[in-house]
Amino acid sequence: MSLRVIVADDSKVMRQIVIRTLRQAGYGDWEVTEATNGAEALELALAQRPDLVLSDWNMPEMTGIDLLRRLNASGADIPLGFITSEGSPQMRELAESEGALFLIAKPFTPDSFRSTIDPFLA
Amino acid sequence: MISTMADHVVAIAQDMFTAMVDGESGALTDRAGEAAVLTEPVHAWVDIDGERPLRTLVATGRGTADRIARALLAMGPQDPVEQDDVRDALGEIANVIGGNVKGLLPERSALSLPVVTFDGREPAGALVWTRSLEWHHEPLVVSMWDVPLKREEQL
Repeated sequence: MSLRVIVADDSKVMRQIVIRTLRQAGYGDWEVTEATNGAEALELALAQRPDLVLSDWNMPEMTGIDLLRRLNASGADIPLGFITSEGSPQMRELAESEGALFLIAKPFTPDSFRSTIDPFLA
Repeated sequence: MISTMADHVVAIAQDMFTAMVDGESGALTDRAGEAAVLTEPVHAWVDIDGERPLRTLVATGRGTADRIARALLAMGPQDPVEQDDVRDALGEIANVIGGNVKGLLPERSALSLPVVTFDGREPAGALVWTRSLEWHHEPLVVSMWDVPLKREEQL
């Protein structure tokens, strides 16, 4: 299934790693747009209405959790999953309570992408 | 307690290098002998602002930092690498380690954005522990610091 996805991370290195890992996980046909912070991701998401936003948590301008809240407040039905170095139970609980689809902790592997993302594609 | 935290952090660093830098385990190992002397040191750190403010810091030489950046960006071994890419790469190494350390702490805390310096400056603070490692036989040091003041006051 080909999806249109926004990858939001202030690190160019991490965006490239996420995109490379998506490809290695078998999602090479996904159409990916990059955003350098939450504010840019919000603007792109509302304009493009992607199938999924993959977002870092800790970013300048707008954090990932604020991006999720703004997407929810906009009424746009755009699912968001976090890819973040902060995978503590508290962060997972907060992400879930705000309606995030999932949280993948860094460091990640193609296997961890598949095992987390595949159930939501069924 | 300290060695336990240090062991955890080294394990996190090794997991990260295995998953995202090398694609296989075993390249980041403990370094025996005297403390490493870093050539053109690059320092990367994040602060964890909580009940006990902490800093996780990664330091290595510029040549090794360049190699890490090339590996993270899937570049060839001789490809020229920009300083901004090295800053980004080392900052992400520090960020992933710091984010995982934050998850080990019992209390709520906040993670700063990464800071990377190329001028040899070490940020102020009190050393809690340090671990001398080597990546492909080149020195790389991971350490944890107590941060008594706000970062802006320390630079």
